Amino acid sequence: MLQANKIIAALEKQEITHVVGVPDNGSRTLYEQLWAHDKIEVVFTSREGEAYGLASGLYLGAANPLVLIQNTGFFEAGDAFRGTAYNMGIPLVSLIGYRGYKTMEPGAPRVDTAATFFEPTLKAWNIPYTAMHSDDDIGQIDQAFKKAAETSLPTAVLIVPETT
Amino acid sequence: MLNKYTCLEKLADKRTDELVVTTMSVAMPWATHSDGPLDFAHVESAMGHAADFALGLAIAQPERRVLCINGDGSTLMSLGVLVTMAQRPAANFTLVITETGTYEVTGSQPVPGAGLIDHEQLCRGAGLKRVYTIDNDADFDAKLDQHFSEEGPAVFIWKIAKATEPVPKPSKPIRERAYRLREALTGG
Repeated sequence: MLQANKIIAALEKQEITHVVGVPDNGSRTLYEQLWAHDKIEVVFTSREGEAYGLASGLYLGAANPLVLIQNTGFFEAGDAFRGTAYNMGIPLVSLIGYRGYKTMEPGAPRVDTAATFFEPTLKAWNIPYTAMHSDDDIGQIDQAFKKAAETSLPTAVLIVPETT
Repeated sequence: MLNKYTCLEKLADKRTDELVVTTMSVAMPWATHSDGPLDFAHVESAMGHAADFALGLAIAQPERRVLCINGDGSTLMSLGVLVTMAQRPAANFTLVITETGTYEVTGSQPVPGAGLIDHEQLCRGAGLKRVYTIDNDADFDAKLDQHFSEEGPAVFIWKIAKATEPVPKPSKPIRERAYRLREALTGG
């Protein structure tokens, strides 16, 4: 189980001001709870590439944003990620939904390329990442922020199960 | 038709402490007027993402006017941002679309739909209310102050005579420009 309220507590600890992105089924509960949050503003973008541009502007403008998207949108966002957050050296953390994770298990009837392309792409784009499978892994969010601050580069935490 | 260089000169003369984000064919002409910490050339960056980048700056800095001077080719690469601008309005945000119908820095090839696109209708269809198309000097002069004062999100579409520009080469690497901008906005 991966609980949205516990992820939000981790974001509060990091004093996140804005969550920028596009919702998916995995992040639905998380977004629903963020909408009701009184200190974190949700900014929906039309496509995930915009999320990286907008979040980069927020950071340079002295806000403290986080990107929340799905892996499918992450692929689309490649040039925006490269040209804004990465090239500008922004310590931006992304939470990225891992669509298709279970289809990589042995015996699965089909494989979702959103899953099989995902981690090789993260590595190719030089993004340090860890994965959250349950509440026990939520501490990885803190570690991702620490790593991003140390390197002045973006990092990611993957959301494997749907948030509840 | 407007002359790009004349428009930029007039805008620069009026500008005080506003943050100005420029893209491809505008970046270097603008830098001849101003190349300080609050001038951010969005080149060596992400194609089509100057407007969302500038919107982020505007949301984070609500007390400061942010102008983004974008090309029509760059705008076409991320049209969805017009909707994002409407659904998350920033009262201090001005978007300028310089419409030449060409990709100036790659040899003036026509952009898709050159001569067919109505940018004002695109913007209004996206939900933006304050949208102005300017195609002559008298109208430009009349609306010059609005670029700084109009409640945002405001969009000004400059109908510009075709021109060519070399590939822009900013005076500093993008990371250095980004850190310089953040330092100017945060005071350290």
